[in-house]
Amino acid sequence: MLGKQPAAAILLCAVLSAAAAAATASNLTVQLPSALWLQSLTAPDIDDMRQVLVHYAFLPRLTVSLLCGAALGLAGTVLQQVLRNPLASPETVGVSAGAYLALALATLLAPSLLAYGREWVALAGAFVAISAVFALSWHKGLSPLSVVLAGLVVSLYAGAVGAALIVLRHEWLTSLFIWGAGSLGQQDWTTTLWLLPRIGAAALVIGLMVRPLTLLGLDDEGARSLGVPLGVYRFAGLAASVALIAFVVAAVGVVGFVGLAAASLARIGGARRLSQRLVMAPLIGAALLWAADQAVQLATRAQGDLLPTGAITALLGAPLLLWLLPRLALGLEIPALTEERLPRTGRPGLVLATIGLSLLLLLGLALLYGPGPDGWTFAFGDQLQPLLSWRWPRVSAALAAGAMLALAGLMMQRLTGNPMASPEVLGISAGAALGMMVALFSLDDAGRPAQTAAATVGAFAALLVTLAMGRRAAYAPERLLLAGVALTALFDALILVLTATGDPRAVKLLNWLTGSTYGVDAGAALLTGAIAFCLLLLAPLFLRWLDMLPLGSSAVQSLGVDVPKTRLLVLLMVAALTAASTLIVGPLTFIGLMAPHLTRRLGLARALPQAAGAVLVGALIMVAADWIGRTVIFPRQVPAGLVATLIGGPMLMWLLRRR
Amino acid sequence: MPERHIQTAIRSRNRMTRRAALGLFALPFAGIVPSTVEAKPLRIVCLDDGLAETLLTLGVNPVAIAGRDVWENWVVEPPLPPEIADVGTLLEPNLELLQQLAPDIILSMPYLDGIKPLLERVAPVTTIGLYTEAGQPYQRAIEATRQLAKLVGKETEGEALITATDAYFSEVRRELAPLSARPIYIVSFLDPRNVRVYGRKSLFQEVFDRIGLRNAWAGETNYWGFSTVGIDGLATSSDARLAYLEPLPEGAGGTLTESPVWNAMPFVRNRSIIRLPAVLMFGALPSATRFARVLAKAMTGEAARG
Repeated sequence: MLGKQPAAAILLCAVLSAAAAAATASNLTVQLPSALWLQSLTAPDIDDMRQVLVHYAFLPRLTVSLLCGAALGLAGTVLQQVLRNPLASPETVGVSAGAYLALALATLLAPSLLAYGREWVALAGAFVAISAVFALSWHKGLSPLSVVLAGLVVSLYAGAVGAALIVLRHEWLTSLFIWGAGSLGQQDWTTTLWLLPRIGAAALVIGLMVRPLTLLGLDDEGARSLGVPLGVYRFAGLAASVALIAFVVAAVGVVGFVGLAAASLARIGGARRLSQRLVMAPLIGAALLWAADQAVQLATRAQGDLLPTGAITALLGAPLLLWLLPRLALGLEIPALTEERLPRTGRPGLVLATIGLSLLLLLGLALLYGPGPDGWTFAFGDQLQPLLSWRWPRVSAALAAGAMLALAGLMMQRLTGNPMASPEVLGISAGAALGMMVALFSLDDAGRPAQTAAATVGAFAALLVTLAMGRRAAYAPERLLLAGVALTALFDALILVLTATGDPRAVKLLNWLTGSTYGVDAGAALLTGAIAFCLLLLAPLFLRWLDMLPLGSSAVQSLGVDVPKTRLLVLLMVAALTAASTLIVGPLTFIGLMAPHLTRRLGLARALPQAAGAVLVGALIMVAADWIGRTVIFPRQVPAGLVATLIGGPMLMWLLRRR
Repeated sequence: MPERHIQTAIRSRNRMTRRAALGLFALPFAGIVPSTVEAKPLRIVCLDDGLAETLLTLGVNPVAIAGRDVWENWVVEPPLPPEIADVGTLLEPNLELLQQLAPDIILSMPYLDGIKPLLERVAPVTTIGLYTEAGQPYQRAIEATRQLAKLVGKETEGEALITATDAYFSEVRRELAPLSARPIYIVSFLDPRNVRVYGRKSLFQEVFDRIGLRNAWAGETNYWGFSTVGIDGLATSSDARLAYLEPLPEGAGGTLTESPVWNAMPFVRNRSIIRLPAVLMFGALPSATRFARVLAKAMTGEAARG
């Protein structure tokens, strides 16, 4: 009856536990002589602060790390089984981010909601997030890649809303949600006692469903022929794992990548059957988080929660994801269904002219109309000159950035045949942001030129990394996208660590991350405009390829095109477009995802009209976002990238809704 | 409350209010002759709250500051006259509005050097750093006070403010001498588990040195003068008091009282906890005075209760 034992997974679990135990002993020895360990565990002397700390801080923290690690490993395994996706995990499908955002929103805007129980708020957020991911990836048949990309988009969106909260409340003097970064610090046993029954109940539900869940791993036909009500069990499994994640987020915040790591390591370590994985993954997850948390304590020693464990595990998770990629059978991508029954216009010229005209009208409005000390006014004559000198660089920068991002998005989507592909998933934006971060934190007074230079270097370094990883696979789109996902996750983790330290410079970084055109002066605007102009002139050279690439690599090859070379050239173009615009409006490049879809909806199907339409639509949305951002809460300003994301997210959901 | 007299007396150079008139009787520097009122006051936009509070105490209203709501929650005193405009957030003051306000000068801090070229297109920018790598914010606040006083032509008032602040510290030092044996932690709560504790290079440390109190936190600090630590990091000193500053973050107050670690902390067991109203931790002389006053009031009040 017993199958082959997952020897490697058991060994890994043992090694991790041994390392964790050694670190634990070392941490404990610093706090308390070993003679008092037993006493502090069973009956601590409250007059001895050391014993109090061990009993009420050290031990609960250890227990919580074990519980959360196990819960995440279990949730990851069930998610992978239900979604038949070896990359599914609490982090990659956006569930953690959704739960976290719901809690942050409730804490800031409606604290009374939390009185009903943090878990309900977290659950609501988690379910909204996973619904959004499903909606976004449904028409790709929930394929592994599209689910992960949709998860990334949802996480980015949740992150943008979170950043908006911080920037708009400009609490540069207060904490930036330390707990949100996965701080495991405890001061009593309440969190442990809160988690225990909830995780236990969810685990019990999953334990009762082992057989039906195993059948879910078969293809639908096979399972249905055995008389299993697929829908019911799929939903129950999903609900149980989402609940597990929501509990963990409600208790300690987002703990990055433990779920993915535990589930994947169990599988790679030889746990083939679901029942084995359901045991091994929680064990590995518990050992992993225990070891990581003790290592963090070893490194910081009485530094409080300066290094939130959850963010540190996320830092380790990104390289892990890259290592995993070639080792997982991702299955075949289902070919894009984008050419479904969308309307095609017979008169693309008319559509383009209409968009162009709207853009001109909006430009006039953005330059001339706005609020001032005396309310909303049209600026004329003498007043206009000084106002215009502030407004035109911002408007033209937004225009250029929107146009470039839209073109980059269109090229990415046609290259990969994936409607969720967008410039930011290539990792370039994350690279630029990393460069910016280094500049802000290492140079004392990094001015704009230094920041721009650092961001450019970062963008190209990220591109090199992505290309180096894609080279072996002949720049196959799915490998590139996943490498980009990993880079982006790495960067998000770094941001969390930095903001958790409460350093005022982190707020500057957040401000740029949200995509503000504030600092754009005439020189920067002219330079960006010139780059955009040159790149747009190059675009027609790519049109033939862009019409062919969605047909799939074998079809393109049979037409006599060198596929790897073509892909590389398209990627370089995308990278140049993304880097130039990221420097102006920050790494929130939602517009690149959205503009091509919107254009397609307007009936522009072939590469040339769609590209022209996307460029115009991208420019239109970005100029509108900048204008709204400058005026809506005058004299304060909402960064344009953030406005575009906040408007664009729901719009994208509507465009990609299940048809 | 002598420090209130410092402010009101200085302000009375321009406007004689009833409160200021009362304050004049207690003036520690009553011999000063009021200077002549200038024909056209300088239009100043002040982007640093520490500099703005100094200007207000010297009796000069800036035209605008960044973030009135931040002032109301974190600076509190001196109260902000309603006619002072708000140019938006500190990191992105609204440039169009700035231009329309037509300032003669913009006062900035090194933290905002990134946007200095933009500000310079509106008006000349003077950058004054109260908080830098070198520390010594009190000495820098004195220099900044002189610089600002010269700028607005109120050198005598500036010197008076410096002398009065110093004199006030000596007074508080005498008042608190019986209570100065035990060290004190000064913290702001970030959440129920973590605090920002102020130490070397902070304004509060400099006030401590001048009013004869000992800071219980001797550890590392960043160049803003604080360190972020978990509450249990404050357990090292057994006889220390804890003074925490308002405002408390959402949810920090209620959960603290239930925590066994919190309840086992030496200062909780000795009931040596002092609650202080908000004081700008990155401020100048007026904030230093306010800090000394609220701390002295809380400590003597506690001592009186026993």
